Amino acid sequence: MRVIRTGAAVAAALTLAATAAACSSSSGSSHSAGGSSTQATGAPESGGTVTMQWVGGYPNFIFPLMPATNTDGYNGNLQLPLWPDLVYAGDRGQSVVNPDESLYSAMTWTNNDQTINITLKPWKWSDGTAITSRDFSFTYNLIKSLGQNWSGYLPGLFPDDVKSVQTPSTSTIVINLTRSYNPTFYTDNVLYAIPLLPQHAWDKESTTGAVGNYDQNAAGAKAVVNFLQKQGSDIATFTTNPLWKVVDGPWHLSEFTSSGTYALVPNKNYSGPDKPHLAEMVDAQYTTNDAAFNDLRAGDVTIGPIPGEDISQISYLKSEGYSVQDLTTAAEAGIYPNWFAPNGVGALLKQLYVRQAIEDLINRPQIVSQIYHGYADPGNGPISLNYTTLTTPLEKSGGPYPYSPSKAVAVLKANGWKVTPGGVSTCTDPGTGSGQCGAGVAAGAKLAFTLAYSAGDPDTDEMEAAIQTWEEQAGIKLTLKSEPFNTLVGTVGLCDQQSHPTSTCSWQLVDFGYDPYSLYPSGAGLFNTDGSGNQGGYSNPQMDSLINQTEYSSSPAAFTQYEDFAAAQLPQLWLPDPDVLLAYKSNLAGVEPANSFSADNDPEIWSFTK
Amino acid sequence: MIAYLIRRVGQAVVVVIGVMILTFILIHMEPGSVARSILGIRATTSRVAIFNATYGLDQPLYKQLWNYTDQVFHGNLGQSFYQQQQVSTLFAQALPRDIFLLGTSTVLALLIALPLGVYQAVKRNGLADNLLSGTTFTLYTMPTFFFAMLMVGLFAVQLHWLPPTAPQATSVAGMLADPRALVLPEATLTLTQIAGFSRYMRSSVIDTLAQDYLRVCRAKGLGERLVLWRHVLRNSFLPIVTILGLSIPGLVGGAIVVEDIFNYQGMGLLFYQAALRHDFPILLGATLLGGVLTVIGNLAADIAYGILDPRVRYAADK
Amino acid sequence: MQPINSTTTRFDELDAGEIHGDGRRWYALREFFGNTQARVGLAIIVLLFLFCFLGPVFYHTNQVKVDLLTKDFAPSKQHLLGTDDYGFDVIGRLMRGGQASFGLGFAVAGVTTVVGTLYGAVAGIIGGVVDAVMMRLIDTLLSIPGIVLLLIMVNIFTPTLFTVILVLSLLSWLVVARLVRGEVLSLRTRDYVLAAKTMGSGTGRIMWRHMVPNAFGVIIVNATFSIADAITALSTLSFLGLGMAAPYADWGTMLSNGLNDLFDGYWWLIYPPAILLILTIIGFSLIGDAVLDSLDVRLRRR
Repeated sequence: MRVIRTGAAVAAALTLAATAAACSSSSGSSHSAGGSSTQATGAPESGGTVTMQWVGGYPNFIFPLMPATNTDGYNGNLQLPLWPDLVYAGDRGQSVVNPDESLYSAMTWTNNDQTINITLKPWKWSDGTAITSRDFSFTYNLIKSLGQNWSGYLPGLFPDDVKSVQTPSTSTIVINLTRSYNPTFYTDNVLYAIPLLPQHAWDKESTTGAVGNYDQNAAGAKAVVNFLQKQGSDIATFTTNPLWKVVDGPWHLSEFTSSGTYALVPNKNYSGPDKPHLAEMVDAQYTTNDAAFNDLRAGDVTIGPIPGEDISQISYLKSEGYSVQDLTTAAEAGIYPNWFAPNGVGALLKQLYVRQAIEDLINRPQIVSQIYHGYADPGNGPISLNYTTLTTPLEKSGGPYPYSPSKAVAVLKANGWKVTPGGVSTCTDPGTGSGQCGAGVAAGAKLAFTLAYSAGDPDTDEMEAAIQTWEEQAGIKLTLKSEPFNTLVGTVGLCDQQSHPTSTCSWQLVDFGYDPYSLYPSGAGLFNTDGSGNQGGYSNPQMDSLINQTEYSSSPAAFTQYEDFAAAQLPQLWLPDPDVLLAYKSNLAGVEPANSFSADNDPEIWSFTK
Repeated sequence: MIAYLIRRVGQAVVVVIGVMILTFILIHMEPGSVARSILGIRATTSRVAIFNATYGLDQPLYKQLWNYTDQVFHGNLGQSFYQQQQVSTLFAQALPRDIFLLGTSTVLALLIALPLGVYQAVKRNGLADNLLSGTTFTLYTMPTFFFAMLMVGLFAVQLHWLPPTAPQATSVAGMLADPRALVLPEATLTLTQIAGFSRYMRSSVIDTLAQDYLRVCRAKGLGERLVLWRHVLRNSFLPIVTILGLSIPGLVGGAIVVEDIFNYQGMGLLFYQAALRHDFPILLGATLLGGVLTVIGNLAADIAYGILDPRVRYAADK
Repeated sequence: MQPINSTTTRFDELDAGEIHGDGRRWYALREFFGNTQARVGLAIIVLLFLFCFLGPVFYHTNQVKVDLLTKDFAPSKQHLLGTDDYGFDVIGRLMRGGQASFGLGFAVAGVTTVVGTLYGAVAGIIGGVVDAVMMRLIDTLLSIPGIVLLLIMVNIFTPTLFTVILVLSLLSWLVVARLVRGEVLSLRTRDYVLAAKTMGSGTGRIMWRHMVPNAFGVIIVNATFSIADAITALSTLSFLGLGMAAPYADWGTMLSNGLNDLFDGYWWLIYPPAILLILTIIGFSLIGDAVLDSLDVRLRRR
C-alpha cells in the first residue's frame, strides 16, 4: 500500500480538491514571497469552495488542550484554523515566526532572558469581545491544571518552569521563568504550542452554569478543564455547541460528518490581515492513499500529494494543468542504534568507529537521485537544509561522512577488525587500547545487525535493501525486518540506562522514518541523555551540554557547535529525508511557497485566479 | 425442529464465547506495548502509565477478560483507543455500508452465476462452456486488487468515464444519489464473485446431472427442462448454500481491497486499521460481531440445507 | 483392492457408482491423459515448472545484490524484460518468483486438503455430538476474520515463507472441512453406504473406501482452488503492506509491487507476473477439472 508521508501537526501532507471556482475573472494575484506582511499585487478573486482532503486522518477532538492519551495529530488541523497558536510558525516558506498570523505584536525578553514581556495585538474574538491577557492567564491556568496530562507537555518546560504569570494590562502579559532561556528556542519551540482560549465564554464548569473565574483556583481549573475536554470529545456536537463558535482564527467550523469530513467557512470577524478569500473549505476524508492519488490523476482533485513511487508522474500532471510544489519537510531522518541491545550488540554500536563505518557505506546521494529522483534532503547531519540560516557549512558541503567504502574498511581495520567483504567481519583484536575493538567487544564479535523498519512504503523497502547491499562491502551484515509501523512502535521502546526491558529493548537498529522538528530544530528530546525521543539511549555528556547551550544561551555559535558535533557523533545514522510533493491546479494562487510548519498550509492566503 | 434450533442456539452461544476468549488471547499475544503503539514514539513512561490505567491494560489478563465480558453483556462494546469514539457508533456507521455494497454485489453475482453455471454444465465441454470457463477462470484467478486497479486505470483515469472513488456519502440514500461512483466498486465485486459461484455451480450441477434418479425421471418422460429446474437446480444449490452462509461473516472482514482502492469506509478498512494500530476494542468488537454473524450464517445454511435436501433432514434428526 | 472380475458377491461393488479396483484406476488414468483439458493444463504447468526450476541453470542473473543504478530499465538486449525497482533482471526474478509461488501453492494446498478432508470426513461420518463439537470449533475459528489472524501472525513472527504457509493453511482448511462434511452428510444417505453398513463395514472402512473417493470431486476442485487462493492471498497481503520484503519474490508480490508503477508505464513489472500467475492457476484448474472427469465413473455414462 502506498504510504504518503503524513506528519503530526507540523508536517504537511495534504491533498486539496477544488470544485467550482466561482466568480468572474479578475487579474490573478499571488502573495509575494518574503518574510513580512505583503501587499497583494492585484485584487485576489474571492469566493469559491475548496475541498481539502485528508489521507488517513480523523480528527476526534476539538478543544485545543487535549489529554495526554490523545495523540491524533490531525486534531491540530481542525483546531488551529479556529484557534491559532500565540506564536504562529512558518511564514510563506520561511522557517521563521509569522508576524501576520501570530497573536502578539511584540515580545521582549528581559531580566537576563528570564522574563518574557508580551504585548497582544488588539484583535477580537468572533463574538466581538476583545482578546485580552486574561485569555492567556486562563489558558495558563488550565494547562497548569492538566500538567503531565496535557498532550503538549514537555518535561521541565512550560508550565513547569514558570514562576509566575502577571497581566499588568489587558494587552500585556509578563511571564517570569525559573531560569534564563535562549529566546529563539523558547519562543519557537515552547510558546508556539500555546493557543489563546476565550475566558469570557469558556470559563464554566457545566453547560448551564454561568461564566466565572473558576480557573483562578486549582479545584476550579480542574473542573473547567475536565468539562471542556469532555465537551471537546463529543463529535456529534462539534458544530452545534456554542462553545466552539467563539474563535479568533480565520475560520469557523460549519460542518462535521461522521466520516471525518468537515467544512470550514471564513470567520467574518477575523481581525488579522490574512482574511480568507475562499467562500468555503471542505476537509474531506480519504482513508487510503491509493484512492487519493487516483482522484488526483483523474483530475478530480486540485491539490494532492504525489506518493514517492509516482514521482515520475510529475510531467503527466503538469501536462494536465497542475503545478508541483516541492515541500522540504522540517525533519530529520536516520537509523536509531540501540545502545542497550543485548548480546554485545549494544557495546558494538556504542563505538563511534562502528557507526562511522556503517554511515560511510550509506550512499546517500544515490538514494536521493535514484529513489527520490532528487526530491529529498540529503541527510548530511541533524539539520535539514531548509533551515537556511541554521545549517552549517559542514552540513551544506555534504556532512562529515560522504560515501566511501574504502574509509569504512580502513576505519574498521584500524580498530582491530578483520574485514571480510561479502561475509561478516570479525573482531580480531579485542581490548580497550588504541587500535583495539573497544570496551565490551569480545573476540570474534561479528558485525551483524538486524535493521527493523516500517513496512508499506516501496521507497523505504528499496532504500533498506540498497543499504544492505552496500554494507556488505565491509562485511557488515544487515538482516532486514519490515513490520507495520504501529507494531514497530509497540516493540521498539525507549531504552536508557535506568530501564531497558528485553520486551521493548531487544532491537538493534530501527528506522522510523523521520522525526519532525519545531521551528527551532533543537536536539533536545532526541540526542540528550534520557530525552523523550532518544530511543536508543544515546548518552554523551558533551552532547548534553551543547544541547543545553542551545536552549539556554542566545549566542549564535551555540547552535553551530551543537550541529557540527552532532553530525560527527552519529547519535543516529543520518539518512535522506524525502520531500512532500504537492500537485495543485495552476489557477489556485497562494499555495507556493508553502509553509512546512503549518498544519493546514495556511489556506487563508489562497485564492483562485483566472 | 424446535429442539434442533434450541440445540443450535446453545451451541452458537458457546461459539461466540469461544471467539471472544480466543481473540482476547491472540490479541494479547502480540509483542510490544499497546500503549506505545497508540501513543507513538514520543510517549513518555508516565503517559504510557496513564494510558494503561485508563484502559485497564495493567490488570491481569483474566481480569481484563472478565471486565470486557461484563461490559459486553451490558451492551457496551468499549471505546476505540485511537479514534476515541464508541465502538458501537463506529460499527453502526460502517456496517450498513458493507451490507449495502456486499449484499447488492452478491445478489447480482448470483443472478448471473447460477444460470451461467447451469448452462455450462449442460453444454459441458462444448465451445461455449470452454470459453466461459476460460473467462471465469481468468476473472477468478486475477487478484482483486489487480482487477480493480486496472479498471480504475482504464475507466477513471484514462477514459474519464467514471469517478475513481466510491460515493463518499454516509447514508445509503446518499450513495444511491451518485450511481456513477458505484459502478466500478460494484462491478469489481460482482465479477469476481461470479467466477467463484459459477464454477461451483457448474461442478455441482454436473454431479447432480449424473445421478441415477434422474434417469428415472427422464425414463418417466419428464422433459429435460423440467428435469433441470425441478431436480437438478434444487440439488445443485447445496454447495452454494454453504458458501453463502460462510460469506455472511465476510461482512466484517469485508471487501477490504475494494474499500482500500475506492476509499469506501466500511468494516474492512475499519478493521484493517484497527489491526495495524492494535486498537483492541475495535478488534474484539469486530470479531465478536463476526462470530455472531458466522453462527447466524451457518444456522441459516444448515436450515436451508435441510429444506433443500430431505435426506439430510432425516439424517440430522436421528 | 480386488480386481473387478473376482468375487461379485460383495453387494457394494455391484453399484456402478463405486470407484474401486486396479483395473478401473488405470482406466481412469488413461481417461485423464486422453482428455484435452488435462493435456493443456499439464502442458502449461510443466512448461512453467521447467521455466522456474530449470531456467536459472541456463539463465544466470544477479538476484541478490541491489543496484539502484540499474533500476526500472525498460526491456533491452541485456535484460529481455527489463529490470525492476531493485535493479534485478525481471526474467530471473520471475523464475525465482515462480519457485516460491509453486512452493507456496503446493504446500498450502497439500496441508489444506489433507487436514481439511480428514477433519470434515470424520465429523460427517461420526455425526452426533462429536460432529457438533468439531463443527463448533470450525465456526469459532472461522468467525475470526482471516485478516486478524494474518496480522497477528505477521506481528508475532517475522513473515517468512514458512510462517506464511502456516498461516494461510490455518485459514483455508476450515472451508474444506466444512464442504467435505457437507458432502459426506449427503453421501451418508446414499444407498451403497447403507448397504455397506448392513454388511458390517466399519466406519473407517466406509470412510476410506467409499466416501472419500466419492467426495473426491469436491476435494479436487477445492485443492486446485487452494493453490490459487494461497498465491492470491499472499499477493493481497503484500498489496496491503504486510507481505515479505525483498529479496523475496513470488509472482503475486511482484504483481502488487509492480502496480505501484502502474501509471509510470513500467508494463514489464506488471503484466509478465500477472500473466504467469493467471496461466498457472488456469493450468491447475484445467487439471482439476480433468481429474474430476476421469474419476467420476457416473459421468462416463453420458
